[in-house]
Amino acid sequence: MITGGKSFVSSPPAFSNDAKRMLVCTGNTLSIFSTSTGLQISELEGHGAPVTSVIVVPASTPASKVLCHCWTASLDGKIRFWDFMAPELIRTIDIGFPIHSMVIPSLLSQPTERKGKSLDLFAYIYIEAERQKEGQPNSSSGQIRKCNLTKSRLAGGVSLAETHKPGCITISPSGEYIGICETRRLRIWEIPTKDSDNAIYKKIRLHHTKTFTTLAFHPTERVVAAGDVTGRILLWRGVGHRTFSTSDKFISGGFSKDAEERPGVRGNDDADSCTTWHWHSAEVNVLFFSSDGAYLFSGGREGVFVVWQLDTGKKKFLPRIGSPLLYFTNSSDPSLSSISCANNRIHLLRMPSMEILRSISGIKLPSSVSDIYEESGSGVVFDHTAGLVAIPTDNYSVQFYSLFNDREISEVQICERNHQPGDEVMVKVNLVALSRDGSTMGTVETRLPEEKIGGLVSLKFWACGSQNKDFSLSTVIYEPHRGASVSSIAFHPTCNMAITSSYGGDFKIWVRMHDTHLKDQMLQSSGWRCHAVGSYKKRPMTAAAFSADGSVLAVAAENVVTLWDPDQNILVAVIGDTLEPISTLSFVGKSTFLVSASRGSNPQLTVWSMSKLSISWSYKLHVEDITCSLDGSTFAVLALLPETSECVESTEATLQGVDGAILLFNVENPFPLATWFASKAQGGRLSFLQTSPKLEDEVADVKPAHGLLAYMNRNYEYVLFNSYGEQGHNQSVTRQQNSSNLEEKEKIGYASIYGELAELSEEKNQTRIPYIQYEKNWETIFSGPSHKLAPLTKLCLDFLDSSLERRAVTVE
Amino acid sequence: MAEDESRISIAKTFRVKPKLRPTSNKATPTPESKFWKSFKIPKDIEFTPSKSVIYPITSIAFSPIAPHDFAATHSANISIFSGKTLEPKSTIASAFADSATSAAFRCDGKLLAAGDLTGTVHVFDAKSRTHLRRLKCHSAAARLVRYPRADDKFHLFSGGDDSVVKYWDVTTETCLFNLLGHKDYVRCGDASPVSDDMFASGSYDHKVRIWDVRVSNSGSVMELNHEKPVESVLYLPSGGLIATAGGNFVKIWDVIGGGKLLYSMESHNKTVTSLCIGKIGKESGEEAQQYRILSVSLDGYMKVFDYAKFKITHSMRFPNPLLSVGFSPDCSTRVIGTTNGTFYVGRRKTKLESDGPGDVVGLGDVEVDPERRVIRPTYFRYFHRGQNTKPSEGDYLITRPRKLKFAVHDKLLKKFRHKEALVAALSGKNTENVVAVMEELVARKKLLKCVSNLDEEELGLLLGFLQKYSTMPRYAGFLMRFTEKVVEMRADDIKSSDQLRGNIRNLKRDVEEEIRIQQSMQEIQGIISPMLRIAARR
Repeated sequence: MITGGKSFVSSPPAFSNDAKRMLVCTGNTLSIFSTSTGLQISELEGHGAPVTSVIVVPASTPASKVLCHCWTASLDGKIRFWDFMAPELIRTIDIGFPIHSMVIPSLLSQPTERKGKSLDLFAYIYIEAERQKEGQPNSSSGQIRKCNLTKSRLAGGVSLAETHKPGCITISPSGEYIGICETRRLRIWEIPTKDSDNAIYKKIRLHHTKTFTTLAFHPTERVVAAGDVTGRILLWRGVGHRTFSTSDKFISGGFSKDAEERPGVRGNDDADSCTTWHWHSAEVNVLFFSSDGAYLFSGGREGVFVVWQLDTGKKKFLPRIGSPLLYFTNSSDPSLSSISCANNRIHLLRMPSMEILRSISGIKLPSSVSDIYEESGSGVVFDHTAGLVAIPTDNYSVQFYSLFNDREISEVQICERNHQPGDEVMVKVNLVALSRDGSTMGTVETRLPEEKIGGLVSLKFWACGSQNKDFSLSTVIYEPHRGASVSSIAFHPTCNMAITSSYGGDFKIWVRMHDTHLKDQMLQSSGWRCHAVGSYKKRPMTAAAFSADGSVLAVAAENVVTLWDPDQNILVAVIGDTLEPISTLSFVGKSTFLVSASRGSNPQLTVWSMSKLSISWSYKLHVEDITCSLDGSTFAVLALLPETSECVESTEATLQGVDGAILLFNVENPFPLATWFASKAQGGRLSFLQTSPKLEDEVADVKPAHGLLAYMNRNYEYVLFNSYGEQGHNQSVTRQQNSSNLEEKEKIGYASIYGELAELSEEKNQTRIPYIQYEKNWETIFSGPSHKLAPLTKLCLDFLDSSLERRAVTVE
Repeated sequence: MAEDESRISIAKTFRVKPKLRPTSNKATPTPESKFWKSFKIPKDIEFTPSKSVIYPITSIAFSPIAPHDFAATHSANISIFSGKTLEPKSTIASAFADSATSAAFRCDGKLLAAGDLTGTVHVFDAKSRTHLRRLKCHSAAARLVRYPRADDKFHLFSGGDDSVVKYWDVTTETCLFNLLGHKDYVRCGDASPVSDDMFASGSYDHKVRIWDVRVSNSGSVMELNHEKPVESVLYLPSGGLIATAGGNFVKIWDVIGGGKLLYSMESHNKTVTSLCIGKIGKESGEEAQQYRILSVSLDGYMKVFDYAKFKITHSMRFPNPLLSVGFSPDCSTRVIGTTNGTFYVGRRKTKLESDGPGDVVGLGDVEVDPERRVIRPTYFRYFHRGQNTKPSEGDYLITRPRKLKFAVHDKLLKKFRHKEALVAALSGKNTENVVAVMEELVARKKLLKCVSNLDEEELGLLLGFLQKYSTMPRYAGFLMRFTEKVVEMRADDIKSSDQLRGNIRNLKRDVEEEIRIQQSMQEIQGIISPMLRIAARR
């Protein structure tokens, strides 16, 4: 079983102490990426629900830099302590409430305080607790609680705040303050330097007229910045002069200041001044002070990263990131930072120059806006042979993602248009289709009209250049069915033929033309031409499919299925009548059966027999997607569970938001062969995949006919499993080894000048073990400028010494 | 890794692009059609209709001798044109009692013969225009006069509406043989390029007869049935093939192989009137020095036929019915005559002409460049050395990434200054760009907002554009609705301004015109659709 397609941007990532690794919360696991290659190194598995926070234990001394420990918190109510290089779990603390955010202030404060007696380690967690007072048992609320990590328990009864909804806690870089945004208020607490179970907290509130989205603390001064939904950035200076600086009170005379002397500060808020910067046009999601406190970084929905000079308010921009920004993380290496974008990408930035070094990208997430214009499915298609999935993205392109390797392959720009993240979606890639061999792609994009002016549907055919899925445009057809939108595209399984069906009441068969008579010329133009047009009683054509050998074309004309000879364009037969318009059609492998699904108030899953031209059997099921094995006679459907009470009986289904089921059928038999439950099934996709040749060696026992079944849910998280294995627990399919050796060694010193030293043969025994502590000796001997190098005799001695040492290790 | 780097770039910026136009199947012309298109009307010579004649040009003949003057017959005249300048040199007018027909040059180009409708065949000196001989024997119009092509300077043959082909001794003005066999008007013929004794004649009795004067008394040597009145006969340069034209088609016959029909080219829509031999006069290339058949027809098309591959390689349309065609033996000039007296003269620029007097002037000893001085660090050039070095054969070139050029409207769109972008596009010249900017604004849902923000002058600009292009079929679908909306939105402003009202008046006129066109189109459709229905039923 392979899972993947997780969101990388559900919570802020973290850098390791040496800034060579990046810890990213990916669903229930924590993935570790190399910052030098952008590839995944390893994974920490253990949490039973999405991980929400990761905190790397900072290195207080240079010696402890080797320590790679981190704390994670998850919605399953557990806090775990890991060694992420090993990688192994060290400790688990069970809180019992879903944790939405966690900060550990004492990790950031000066370690000298902790010297001598070892103080307890406290974490502040934002949990989702049930509210008892209201009398409504199900209403949940957010609570900030304190947790003693050393003693593995919640600090007794301390609840700093109760809010309507759990959110994110922000901590100041020095660990002195924590704060949250609560609608139009900021709440800030001072953490005592000697924290204990029942410490007393000083707190202040700052008010504003708009809803806050984010806040940030200045590293050295008492300056707080906050962003709101309208794009304003508010900057309070001298925050908490009255409340926090109790030790030297009345010295500054803060109390006597009048309201006029505190410009911009609202009401009785405890701050000296408040300034507003308004550049962002939409909500601000990212605010961060640079480590020296001279700059403020901000970013928001419009996808522009802005650097503000704090004293002057001057701006510098990194424009056109192409997606709303979500988080900014800095590392111990001052030149390396990262920004997480809403399109599931983490960009690594080289900091002063703000140039993007590398991107870690997952499947581009569906935008919430696009659901409004949904007409037929989410447009996600699978490439059966290569194990790829093609996903239309927000920026008018199609992303190809390898399911087996869980990484992006390529991205094809479908519509050459500048994407602006904040804009309303007016242009959308609706449909994508791939031919069976994956060499041709058809896409349909729709421009929505503005007050009925200028709507446009264009159909494009793409030809695959090479193995790497870099498609090049072959043909553009504007308005293939006049004004009507296209309901489906299907490719002929063997020859260059495609069909598009439209709601306008006709379908068109397209063929690829080769100018063969010009073989002596250099001209080899090929394009797609309309070969035939067909319609049936002017009814909207809702779905189309070719049979396995391509001799029959089935087109659904609302409630009936029309069968055509695609070459002659002759209507062969008309079968059946369903209650609702058919939305999906598919021929079942090489068998003589056709399966159709219709949605609406009377959903139906129907299997038609082609030999008898009649219904074989049918179910009343709301089917999201159908997939058929290519040569067998089985098919699988993704069905939504009905919301009636009858299914509440099954306790399994009511658990964890399970709303769909995957059913595996044989065409001959209406009883499902196997059933799996699935969550977030609405808008999900299902497909059989052919086992890729690489996997074949490892999975020799899997019969070739029984492909893998891939299920992708609404959020593009996918799972691959063997459809004939035991209930989802199949060990025979393992992910291709893509870890351990992918980390690129940085070449320094000797190696950068003369290249790598020839490896000793004995070392090969060691490479078998992953994550061996990397021996730096080889490189560091020769690093540094030449005039500082040790004399040759000494170098030589060291060099030989190191090789001798290695040999000794291997002998053991 | 390099591939990785390229992918990392942040969202690219794109220009606003107009919709693509459909490309024809032959996006790039073949080298051959390029050659045939390269015959252009020379700029220095004007063949305006005023200069050309008003009567049908019945025949065109090129002199076989350089500079290849050509003669054309029209009404009772023969005009001789200079082959070098293409100017009319002289006209022979007084000799003919009726319309002149079928001009022909002798093989040395010194004599010119032509028939007329009274039946007389005239022989002139091509240079002095002296009327040398009158061959009177035809009892009806003489429509065919030809000299043997190879070497014979003393004979010619003629054919006429009396259906007789005559073989003449020119010096003595006597008819040597009467070749009988045709049963209708003899209208065309050609002499064999390889033999002085063989020639072919075509007649309205659908037959082409091949004659050999050595065996004259036994009638024709061969008879080919064209199945339509024959308008033109042409011996192909090898002498083994004959092309005949008549009706809508051209047929190729193998004469040596016993008169076998090789191919019938049926791509003209009206009667093919004349044929001639064309030659691709290029020095290099696959098709260099190959022969083609040029055929012209009353449908206004000139087609170039490759008789080796039996394929039409080029086709060209002219606005008038075409009657005659000629092609100069040096491949530089192509002349087509029409029924209304217009000449279409095409001349190809040849290199020989262009580099005429250029290199004649000698400059004596050209000073040799001073020796290349060694560049030392004291020179400024030392620091620039190597910048102009040309890459050698095997070098891998790293090109500088090409900078995308943005138009004014692109830059404004990038800054979200929508109205200014629209105005910038409107004040530009490119219609496609204007529509593309409008479509982009629609995609940003800002078009109507822009319209409401336009001031009066800019609105005038927009209305002017809409008036001009909203009825163009390519943009009509988009612009019609947009126009409607604009007028609706800005009705008050339009009422208050005289200039805008003028714009609206023009717009109204154009729309009415368009409606009229649409109505007549619908009428035509109404006529055609029943016919199509009937045709489909069969």
